[in-house]
Amino acid sequence: MRLYEYEGIDVFESVGIPVPRRGVAETPEDALRVAGEIGYPVVVKAQVLLGGRGLAGGIKTAATPEELEEISGRLLNSEIKGLPVRKLMVCEKADISSELYMGITVDGFSGKPVIVVSTEGGVHIEEIARTSPDKILSFSIDLRFGFHPYQARMLLKQLGLSERLLIICADVLVRLYEVFSQFDALIAEVNPLVVLGNGGLMAVDSVLEIDDSSLSRINYQLPQPQERIENQLERKGREIGVTYVDLDGDIGIISSGAGLGMATMDIIGQRLQPANFLETGGAITEELLYKCMDLVMAKVGVRAILINIYGGINPIHEGARGVVQYMNDHNVKLPIVAKALGNRQEETWEILRSGGVHVVTDAPTEIAVDRLIELLGEREPPK
Amino acid sequence: MSILIDDKTRVIVQGITGKIGSTQTRWMLEYNTTVVGGVTPGKGGTTVEGLPVFDSVEEAVKETGANASVFFVPAQFVLDAFYETVDAGIKLIVVVPEHVPVHDVMKMRAYALEKKVLAIGPTTPGILVPGKGKMGIMPGSLFSPGRVGIISRSGTLSYEFAAILSEKQIGQSTVLGIGADPVVLANLPDILKLFEDDNGTDAVIMVGEVGGMQEENAAEFIGRGMSKPIASYIAGRFSPEGKRMGHAGAIVRGSTGTVEGKCEALNASGAEILKSPVEVLDWAARHDLR
Repeated sequence: MRLYEYEGIDVFESVGIPVPRRGVAETPEDALRVAGEIGYPVVVKAQVLLGGRGLAGGIKTAATPEELEEISGRLLNSEIKGLPVRKLMVCEKADISSELYMGITVDGFSGKPVIVVSTEGGVHIEEIARTSPDKILSFSIDLRFGFHPYQARMLLKQLGLSERLLIICADVLVRLYEVFSQFDALIAEVNPLVVLGNGGLMAVDSVLEIDDSSLSRINYQLPQPQERIENQLERKGREIGVTYVDLDGDIGIISSGAGLGMATMDIIGQRLQPANFLETGGAITEELLYKCMDLVMAKVGVRAILINIYGGINPIHEGARGVVQYMNDHNVKLPIVAKALGNRQEETWEILRSGGVHVVTDAPTEIAVDRLIELLGEREPPK
Repeated sequence: MSILIDDKTRVIVQGITGKIGSTQTRWMLEYNTTVVGGVTPGKGGTTVEGLPVFDSVEEAVKETGANASVFFVPAQFVLDAFYETVDAGIKLIVVVPEHVPVHDVMKMRAYALEKKVLAIGPTTPGILVPGKGKMGIMPGSLFSPGRVGIISRSGTLSYEFAAILSEKQIGQSTVLGIGADPVVLANLPDILKLFEDDNGTDAVIMVGEVGGMQEENAAEFIGRGMSKPIASYIAGRFSPEGKRMGHAGAIVRGSTGTVEGKCEALNASGAEILKSPVEVLDWAARHDLR
């Protein structure tokens, strides 16, 4: 789960990383009240869960209440890259002398946390990674040993830091690692860490993504993950325990396993438009597939469904009953093609056929898609 | 021959008394796997499917001579069970459960490397050697004995390839899922090496997906150390960029981990790219595999 910037800054503050004075605003009136407490000028930052927000116009400075009212009113009614702006963070304007970058992430292949630091903090960090990789240093961590201040000092010294700046930056980096470790983070990042005119530091931004599998064991008041999901159908998917991704097309998909789901989408996508991606996870039950049918049918304009499942953990005839039960309860007439293989597959096919589902018994998903196209009575568009 | 499971493999099931653990134990036994016992702390002295249940892995090893373990342990207990299993001297571990915290997996991986234990998963269907045995949840009916190795990041997609081949009487030597999580205990190149060295495997199918750097690293290994024919399919061509497709491993980060980038690297390494799963049959015919 990705946290909003203001939530991440609260976390940073809780471990002693220096952060700006700030407040959260949902209306221009809120913004004015916060700024009244902090003092002008203030920086207004749209709270959306994506990168590149600054370059997309989501960060503005306001020198007066009039300016703040106008800016906050405009931002709160806007969308950034398709995401609605519901909250703003209003914070003190830092007196910037220079900017650093500090990030900790999981390197999937080595299976280790990796610390990345740079003296070129700011919105162009990804470009710098490509064009001047020498300005970026990385350091691989042994998770069972941890990350200690001497390691932070050695790393930052290589970056050219010295004297008091070296010591205070090392302190922030160790605290950032504390966040990474205590919050089971997949990413913990400060960009930029501002070096102030008075020689102090300030983390003026946060990126914090927590591993969904760890949420229940983190000793901190966190929001409910489904509240983060903007799309209603995707949120419902999360609630019933499946991964649903809303897409632009009209062919519904129910699949078991993310890889098979993506492959199904790829095969359909060559000739038709998928309405969704839906992945059931391993344990297919009658109830789960009933709910999956309900979810896929809830999208307006779906004109056919492809069910592509394998029985591994559970025998799949139970899931088949859920599909047929849903079709009977809701008098579903649109074409449904199912490819269901694995434990008790013959019984599964019989149940599906009894409900009017078109069953494909060959293994290749391509054949099931051919069947679907045939049922829709369409000629294949030229590739 | 095959990789990882052979006549000497003696398997214990951890979490054997649970609903999934006991059902899967029965199916593994029906598939002729040498399952010799199970472990559930607090349930020692009972039996499941006629097999003895122990309180600890150490006791299970001592009493049964087990040398391999498959996990159906709840995700939050996997780290503890894993340390216990490694310390008991088991050298092959298959971690089936999903939702194991990534930070736990990183610790497990470091410990397995240190103790020279081969571990697979988490979020893996496991390992299956057609006709010989299986450690995990793969539905046995889809597989048939033969000489093609299959390695996959996705569980069900490995079934799809095995089922397509089996329908045309092309058998498999071993089928293995490395697991779908952002960090896994064994990486693609680790398993490719085993297939390369196995005299029962003539060719390998590697099934990948968008996100992460597994396939890029596999390509590097294939170019350097793989003499057997290899075909690769990468799922996720139509996945919207940056959208989560079921597991964090499938997030596209920056320019790395894209389907195009992976296919390019694999193609340059000498692997043949399959644009769609069914194309595997043409590949098998070209290489005279059966």
